[in-house]
Amino acid sequence: MADQAGPLWFLWDPFILYVILVLLAPDVFYIVSWLIAPSRPSRVKRMAFESGQAPIRSALSSFPLEYFPYVVIYIAYAVVAVLVFFSLLSVLEAGVTPLTLTLLAVAAVISVYAGSRLRVASGRRG
Amino acid sequence: MIAEQIAQTISSMPEPLRTLMTWVFSEAFIKAAVFPGALFSTVLGMFAVWYERKLLARVMLRVGPLHVGKVSGVLQLVADAVKFLAKERITPSGAIRPLFWTMPSAALILSLLLYAFLPFGAGWIIYPSEIGLLLFFAVLALSPVPILLAAYASGSKYPFIGLVRLALQLFGYEVPLFLALAGVVMMAGSFNIERIVQAQSVVPFVVPQVLGFLVFFIAALAESERVPFDIPTAESEIVFGWQTEYSGAHFVIIQLAAYEKTLALCFLGALLYLGGWHGPPIPFLPETVSAPFWVIVKALILFTVMVLIRGAYPRFTIDRVLDLGWRYLIPMALLNLLITGSLLYATRVLAA
Repeated sequence: MADQAGPLWFLWDPFILYVILVLLAPDVFYIVSWLIAPSRPSRVKRMAFESGQAPIRSALSSFPLEYFPYVVIYIAYAVVAVLVFFSLLSVLEAGVTPLTLTLLAVAAVISVYAGSRLRVASGRRG
Repeated sequence: MIAEQIAQTISSMPEPLRTLMTWVFSEAFIKAAVFPGALFSTVLGMFAVWYERKLLARVMLRVGPLHVGKVSGVLQLVADAVKFLAKERITPSGAIRPLFWTMPSAALILSLLLYAFLPFGAGWIIYPSEIGLLLFFAVLALSPVPILLAAYASGSKYPFIGLVRLALQLFGYEVPLFLALAGVVMMAGSFNIERIVQAQSVVPFVVPQVLGFLVFFIAALAESERVPFDIPTAESEIVFGWQTEYSGAHFVIIQLAAYEKTLALCFLGALLYLGGWHGPPIPFLPETVSAPFWVIVKALILFTVMVLIRGAYPRFTIDRVLDLGWRYLIPMALLNLLITGSLLYATRVLAA
């Protein structure tokens, strides 16, 4: 197949072809919609939906702060995930060693302890 | 025999047509456009929506879609898609227009890209790679970003409430998902999904890694925002959550993206925990056909469990969602890793 070396070589690579098709997928929907959907915008239609009320003030106003501790925990566990990832790489390289086992045991024990201790105040559960 | 006949017919064609037909029957086109690729994933997405509506109706003692299409309303989804596409696309006046218009497409593109890294049998994969599982996880970890931007760009209050819930939920369940997958990688000794399936030829990984499978399945439910984790789109309390302002074609694309992501996670579960394409051989069927068959059957079993959960459980409040993720799933996943590591170490010491 001489065509595989031509200017359209990328059409013979499954991954590149798939990426092209995936990039085209949403456009199909928009083209069909552009052909058959009406477009008669009005001020009332363009209002943000608030069950028929006219919206007051900006939408980007309140952020519930009682869940903020979870954001802090996320940062802590992101570090644990990195530790697990590197111990995984070392296992793939050299098999399970007592050192990786110790690291995993420490991480597991700490997370179980933290899970039993952590309580975030919330009105519903007291 | 059929393949030879096709090859003969193609070689007897005139030149531009011959190249075109060679391309249509080439491995690249069949993989990218037909089987694990575009056609399969979109048709499967539509089938999944129909299947979910039908099964959920049976759970609730209804009949579900019935009239459109001769058999059990199979064409109801096509009718719904045409109806949605024929609706006006309204951009709210407070929206950030470029983000509001492009982010649904970005969500669909990322969800469909997941299928490039899923093998459906030995060699049935669009992008074979030694780090296939990492690539899958990388795309999966990117997939909340367009959704969060879409919610932010709506410039409306209900989507903003949905956005906050969505951010707390999705980022809370990505860590346990990764930790659960780490157990599988450790046991198989590879990031290559094909190798991981080969390592399960005797015992599927769901047996030694029950904890890991539970964590994976619950995190997959939460990542794809399905009941009981549908608090970001809770339609009976915050209208439709982060999707409230999206109408017409935008809405179809968002829904399709959600279903593709759910199904991709079901396929991943079937491949990593349920033994992938290992199953009893089917008479008169070659390996190239029976392998994808078993993968699809196992993934649909997982999807059925998800639908039954949707039929049986109420919605979790956000504090329970966060509690489950941070206080139970992560310790469970780390314990699973420790158990896996100990098992591997014990077998190694006993073998030496």
